[in-house]
Amino acid sequence: MATLGDLDRRWIFLAMGLLVVGMYAAGVKADLPSSPYVDSFYRTVEELPPRSIVLLSADFDPASAAELLPMYTGVIHHLLARKLRIVNTATWPAAPPYIRQEFARIAPLYGAVYGEDWVELGFKPGDDVAMGIIAQSLQNAFPTESRDGRSYADVPLLREVGAGMQGIDLLVTMSAGYPGILEWIAQVGGRYDVPIVCGTTAVQTPDIFAFYPRQVRGFLGAATGATQYLQLVDEVTTDAGVTAIKEENQRRMQVQSWGHVLIIGLIVLGNVIYFRGKRAPR
Amino acid sequence: MIALIAPLVQEAAPVVSAPFFSLDPSGTPDVLGAWLISLFTLSVFSFLYRDNPFYKLAEHFFVGLSTAYFTLQYYEEGVLQPIYEWIHAAHATPEGALVNLGGLPIEPSTAIALRVGAGVFGLMLLFRMIRPNSWAPRWPLAIMVGVYAALKMTGETQSKFVILLGEQFNKALYDPAALSWSEATRIEQTGLYFTFARLVFITGLICALGHFMFTLKRTKGLQAVSRIGVITLMITFGSMFGFTVLGRIALLIERVNDLDRYTAPAYSLAAVDASGSGGSLLLTPPLLLGALIVALLALGAIQRRRPATPPPAAAGPG
Repeated sequence: MATLGDLDRRWIFLAMGLLVVGMYAAGVKADLPSSPYVDSFYRTVEELPPRSIVLLSADFDPASAAELLPMYTGVIHHLLARKLRIVNTATWPAAPPYIRQEFARIAPLYGAVYGEDWVELGFKPGDDVAMGIIAQSLQNAFPTESRDGRSYADVPLLREVGAGMQGIDLLVTMSAGYPGILEWIAQVGGRYDVPIVCGTTAVQTPDIFAFYPRQVRGFLGAATGATQYLQLVDEVTTDAGVTAIKEENQRRMQVQSWGHVLIIGLIVLGNVIYFRGKRAPR
Repeated sequence: MIALIAPLVQEAAPVVSAPFFSLDPSGTPDVLGAWLISLFTLSVFSFLYRDNPFYKLAEHFFVGLSTAYFTLQYYEEGVLQPIYEWIHAAHATPEGALVNLGGLPIEPSTAIALRVGAGVFGLMLLFRMIRPNSWAPRWPLAIMVGVYAALKMTGETQSKFVILLGEQFNKALYDPAALSWSEATRIEQTGLYFTFARLVFITGLICALGHFMFTLKRTKGLQAVSRIGVITLMITFGSMFGFTVLGRIALLIERVNDLDRYTAPAYSLAAVDASGSGGSLLLTPPLLLGALIVALLALGAIQRRRPATPPPAAAGPG
């Protein structure tokens, strides 16, 4: 026990690394039952009438893409499959490349036309002040769309969105931290009558429970939420890409579970060593 | 370990042909990118062993690239577009027409003056670099603090205080819409669970607040309340820690997934035929670079353990 107490922490890193690589290579998938929060997220999108306009904000960066990109991809598939129209924004500077990459791949699958079914407005600096401006007047925040540089009035989809979130039927944010869902709730939820749903990183998920269901209609918490949501979206879309992402996430969840088992085991072992050390005569 | 994992990884790797260099983000990842991604990922992981030149290299590249990317993004979206392009567009507005500023229709000349004024305030912030105690940066700072406080007070107070508290305290202990045990498919849908959750919430909230009640004497009753409060807080922190672990493992799995993708034959150094197969697994970026990094770190460790050669003894007189 005394030897274990002096164990070099690098052995723990190595154990975790080997476990994750080994379990990942084994390729076992975990089919997760859906949680009420994910069901509610899914239902909120399903209940929107076709042609409704959704403001989709990518508030993440490469550091959180592991958790948020799969759900972001799933959301785009879900919205376009339901014939909903999407206005894209980002309050994180590293998010716009993801928007471009995902829409370039997914929009043609559903025959979505740029400017009519979806539009890219780009990054807006200013954190929650920027969110306030976006909610106050989308045209003022983004006088031009970001892909072709067309002015706001020249884009058919944007002509239907007025000041004070007029025309926006749902706000979806993929939130990695600050600024993110908590700021959207304050700047939009507290001022305008627009329902909000979100996807969050694991670190931010515990903060969201308190806002559910009144201020946040539903949320996808971390990789678990993403997997549950992708399982639901896979049932309504025919694209093989969604199935592939879903299966990849199910595979990751199996690895997650074993990673947690290792951490729990180490915590228990650490406590046993600690309490035995306390009892031992000095 | 590599020998154990390799056949499995090889089986999972898709057979693709990859371009050597491509800037198309939606296409197949290019070979150059695969080698760079593998090098930097493994270099960052090498820090888990100890600080080393590979990690330093990755760190410097990361800081340099991030600074360049963020500077460009902020300049384009925060300076060029809202000042130069916006003022140019407002100036070109037909006579008599109004422009939109803050959601309000305004005369173009007034709107341009307001934007230029905002730009001047922005420049005033930079005076701090010339003279640290200058009065100039205080004005824009005062405005920024005022605007930020106003934004926070209105939106945040409403959403995180008024609505949240109102909702929690107006909720009854029993949910009439809850399902019976026979109807419910999940325990959360039952009335008993709802009541139990409400009781836990109310007790936890009151006891956690009670723990921070320092103005009252610590009687036995308050001590008991405080103890339950501490347990509530510990459960909360434990849950947050659990979610944090979830997030960190997700990041690790994502990196493993990325490295796995680059074990495809198309990224191997060995010759690849037209079908994209034929590349040797051991010459793919993750395995080759990983082996190289491990070998060099091991050499460094051996070098450090070798006893220092004593300096040659100084020749004596005669």
